[in-house]
Amino acid sequence: MTDALVSLRGIVKHFGELVAIHDATLDIKPGEVHALVGENGAGKSTLMNILYGLLPPTSGAVVLRGKPVSFGGPAEAIAAGIGMVHQHFKLAPSFTVAENIILGAEPALSGGRLDLRTAERDTGDLSQRFGLDLDPRAIVSTLPVGLRQRVEILKALYRQAEILILDEPTAVLTPQETAELFITMRSLAKSGRSVVFITHKLREVLAVSDRISVMRQGRIVSTLDNSEVTADQIASLMVGRTVLLRVAKTEAKPRGGPTLEISNLSVSGDRGTPAVEDLSLTVRPGEIVGLAGVQGNGQDELVESIAGIRRSTAGRIAICGTVPTVGDPVASRRAGLAYVPADRAHVGLSLQSSIWENMAVGHLSAFRKGPFLAAAAARRRCRELIKRFDIRGAGEMTPAGALSGGNQQKVQLARELTRDARLIIAEQPSQGVDIGAIESIHRLLVAMRDEGRAVFVISADLDELMSLCDRLLVIYRGRIVGDIAAADADVEEIGRLMGGSNTDDQAPTRQEAHA
Amino acid sequence: MLSDIAFSSIRIATPLVFAALGGLYTFQAGILNIALDGFMIVAAFAAVGAAFATGSLTMGVLAGVLASMALAAVLALFNLRFRAHIFIAGIAVTFLAYGLTALLLKAIFDQDGVFASAAIPVFPALRIPGLADLPVLGPLLSGHTLLVYVAYLAVPVVAWTLYRTRWGLRVRMIGEAEDAALAAGVNVDAIKLQTMVISGFFCGLGGAYLSLGYVSLFAKQMTDERGLIALAAIFFAKGRPVATTLVALMFGVATALAVRLPQITGTAPQLLQIIPYAATILALVIVGIRANRSSTQNGWRFDT
Amino acid sequence: MTDRAAPRPHPVLPRLLRAVGPPLFALVVSFGLGGLLMAVLGKNPFTVYAVLLVGSLSGWPNLAVTLQLTTPLIFTGLAVAIAFRSGIWNIGVEGQMLMGALAAGIVGYAAPLPDWAMVPACLLAALAGGAAWAAIPALLRAYIGVNELVLCLMLNPIALLLTGYVSARVLKAPGPTNKLPDVVDAARLANFSLYSQLNTGIFIALACCALMALFNNGTVRGFEWKLIGLNARFANYGGIRVRRNVIGVMLVSGAIGGLAGAEQVLGVYGAFYDNFSPGYGFDGIAVAMLANSSPIGVLFSAFLFGALNSGSSVLQMELGISKYLVQVLQFIVVLILAARFTFSWRGWRRPLVASAPAVTLPMTLPAEQGTTEA
Repeated sequence: MTDALVSLRGIVKHFGELVAIHDATLDIKPGEVHALVGENGAGKSTLMNILYGLLPPTSGAVVLRGKPVSFGGPAEAIAAGIGMVHQHFKLAPSFTVAENIILGAEPALSGGRLDLRTAERDTGDLSQRFGLDLDPRAIVSTLPVGLRQRVEILKALYRQAEILILDEPTAVLTPQETAELFITMRSLAKSGRSVVFITHKLREVLAVSDRISVMRQGRIVSTLDNSEVTADQIASLMVGRTVLLRVAKTEAKPRGGPTLEISNLSVSGDRGTPAVEDLSLTVRPGEIVGLAGVQGNGQDELVESIAGIRRSTAGRIAICGTVPTVGDPVASRRAGLAYVPADRAHVGLSLQSSIWENMAVGHLSAFRKGPFLAAAAARRRCRELIKRFDIRGAGEMTPAGALSGGNQQKVQLARELTRDARLIIAEQPSQGVDIGAIESIHRLLVAMRDEGRAVFVISADLDELMSLCDRLLVIYRGRIVGDIAAADADVEEIGRLMGGSNTDDQAPTRQEAHA
Repeated sequence: MLSDIAFSSIRIATPLVFAALGGLYTFQAGILNIALDGFMIVAAFAAVGAAFATGSLTMGVLAGVLASMALAAVLALFNLRFRAHIFIAGIAVTFLAYGLTALLLKAIFDQDGVFASAAIPVFPALRIPGLADLPVLGPLLSGHTLLVYVAYLAVPVVAWTLYRTRWGLRVRMIGEAEDAALAAGVNVDAIKLQTMVISGFFCGLGGAYLSLGYVSLFAKQMTDERGLIALAAIFFAKGRPVATTLVALMFGVATALAVRLPQITGTAPQLLQIIPYAATILALVIVGIRANRSSTQNGWRFDT
Repeated sequence: MTDRAAPRPHPVLPRLLRAVGPPLFALVVSFGLGGLLMAVLGKNPFTVYAVLLVGSLSGWPNLAVTLQLTTPLIFTGLAVAIAFRSGIWNIGVEGQMLMGALAAGIVGYAAPLPDWAMVPACLLAALAGGAAWAAIPALLRAYIGVNELVLCLMLNPIALLLTGYVSARVLKAPGPTNKLPDVVDAARLANFSLYSQLNTGIFIALACCALMALFNNGTVRGFEWKLIGLNARFANYGGIRVRRNVIGVMLVSGAIGGLAGAEQVLGVYGAFYDNFSPGYGFDGIAVAMLANSSPIGVLFSAFLFGALNSGSSVLQMELGISKYLVQVLQFIVVLILAARFTFSWRGWRRPLVASAPAVTLPMTLPAEQGTTEA
């Protein structure tokens, strides 16, 4: 207790009626890597945002070096030696590395003049001292993701951070980059700093951390030494019972020609760089195919181009044998697509609109009498679906934004699965959804498969994919690098594929060529 | 004739330059401040009122600048604190300023349209020794009033604050990546407020110049959309100080020609007055086409 | 998150209160501040407001003036409201109105048509003129992604200068005034009051509001337009053709704006006059915001501002207070309503995200396209 660098004591956080953090107590010691694990929505990020001054706690105390503190904002937390690297980088892309690092703590000459020379020298020195090789003058937008993360870490170190919070830092990294990050984390801990590592990937937790705190439903359920636990134990602490996600299902019986057939597809990302390159895949009726991969390897762009939300630059997508117009969501839907997007708040739902309105979208032709809208019929159907899909705590007039994540997901599913669609694409179906709802969502998808529809699941959660899917595809840098029957799937093997170690440009192929 | 037009272009462009300098601070900080005209009109009114009451030009300019900065603070309050949409709040503030000055013109000076008086002091023309004797340039650059020189000499100062100071780096980074600045502990709202108040300061000088330097009276809506033309110049030059000033000067030339050319050639003044707006639309379209070429989103762009 | 949300009953009274509360609040604050201002200037605010009330509503002559001034505000308010509801910031109604007026003015004096066809032809011309001017920002926004706000802002003065050019040079009527020749009598909208220029245009305005109310609440297209305003990404994902619909919204909005011009030309002035508008297009923003973009609400708020404008000329005569008091009141209302909408939605929508989005959300309709994604 006394040797803690920072302690969170009895933290409670309410958002309106919702209790996000429930009496959480956590000690961070100097020189340790402390993993904070838990499922999505367990309260990890909220707790760290309180420590970082982004959110005020409803009650409870933050004790720093033995003294209670209360941060009015990140600026005060930074001044107290706390740094945070967010999952989504907070960088100004057209500025240099040095400018990004010094922002907010710029060295200045008299009269408020910016001392860029000192800034570049200092940031250069800093990056070498921690073995994070970076050119201070490089423009951030030209750097790969791994290097941008280094900029973020250096930003915190430049501000003399003694406690560094890393929010899901590996989500965007390749295995190599992850390994480098872990080396950095260990060396930071060795220098006496504390690293708080937020994640839900158990293997990483065990690989790098000294102590592990598990969060579940807003509480810290346990804090353990790395040496005394196994991955299984952590997993059961996270979910509160020994699981794991084992989906009850029979063997897949794919039959008939492909429902989704993609050949030689290329798609550009938001910045115009290629995100999907020459990709081909098929999904057949009666099977669930999962797409595994590290985030940012082209999954989003691939799904968006199938849904017609994004234009492809080359190649062909066929849904149920027809080729919908490129970049036309209406055409994709008409061809037989039902799509459950990951971004419920911005893409899949209109949070201000009532549930019946959310459910009517995509079914408008059924509720059309000439130019008029048959709202009563749409409401009636909505009431039926609320019952059928067990959407709790809602009437048809409730705004979708008032629902929990799991129930919002069910609204999406109710709308999409009741379409007469042969192809179902579910993107991150369990993200931000409570365990109970995950099970029923998985059951629904399996039922769809058994009806003979083709189901394509994209998820960042490999465990989910391995238990839910019949076949796994692995995507790496916009290409499919593996196609494995789920029954034969081996975590290590898929991990290697996700990291790109089996791709053409790697050594094994060349050795084969020599032989 | 030509040097005559050039001389009056410099004069006519002065309030545009002031307003543009003010507007580009907020532009660089990522705020589309369209209330420049509103800031100027209150400044013009306050300047005439104070100068009339005290007989002092200094007091007049000071009053104008303070009034404009106060209005800017109100807009910042609504935009930053109450999260009002900047365009709607900007329009509201502008029309509020038009209405309020017309209301006070009637209430204080009992005038419906124009208030002029011999008691309002006038800025004298300054003959710059040395400069005045230069061939060609001399008559062009010498003989303006003080505020004209202030406007053009302010340009390098503005550029310096934005590109050479710590504060300027923060302003520019907020404009590009506000979340980065927030996460770095920069007080984003404070800096936005500062840029807005500086906007008010420069527009205040512009308004005071209009009513005390350019003419010596206050007329209802005398700003005559100069704030809008300044905004057009900012968009055209993407908020870079020197380029923005040059564009503002060009737009000043167009306006000067709108007054002069009809007398000679018979061209309709309206067609010349359209130039700044049309040029800006053209610039926006060209930028848009370039950006579009690299875009892969279908149909609708959601983020503009 | 857990399943915490209880079913929310939606009784009529609280819903009504939520709809009417904020506009009332804005009006109270605005009139309060206006009264304070009057008191500072040495006038009794109660006298001022009493004169405004009497001068606008007492007796048919005053009421007729009020209704005359209400008519253009219904059109422009409705035009703005149609666009706002779909999350589009059409602040170019002033220019669209001018173009509609010019079109009506030209057809009204020059078209060789039988008498019975004159009014419909002029109205159609105004619809087309307004829609055409709105098509510029609509197409540029839809196909090139240029910010429609900036475009509208620039297109307003261009419309004023272009119509000024036409009425001063190209089609100028003889005489000292910059105007087009008078429209033929058959093209006039009948005036039915001796005391004002109130004309049958007000019925067209009422009909437009009724039609739009029906359209908004009863048709599939109206549903789609609302959804685009609430969340355009969702609408696009759900198979609603956003680009096509947004262009449609802008064209309808511009066409209604054009009708505002036609009513002025055919009903009030009898010809197109250069610079005839005192800013009806901008007043329309105030009208639409007070009405929360509802067509029926537009009727009430247009009447309110029409009455204030009408009373203000009495105010000027009797108390020597500038009629611009009304403009001040009007835009205090806009300022306050602009503030209200964002913070009420924001607190609710983003409970777990601490950092604010870079661009403020639009307020009448919390549409998604106002935000930038990280």
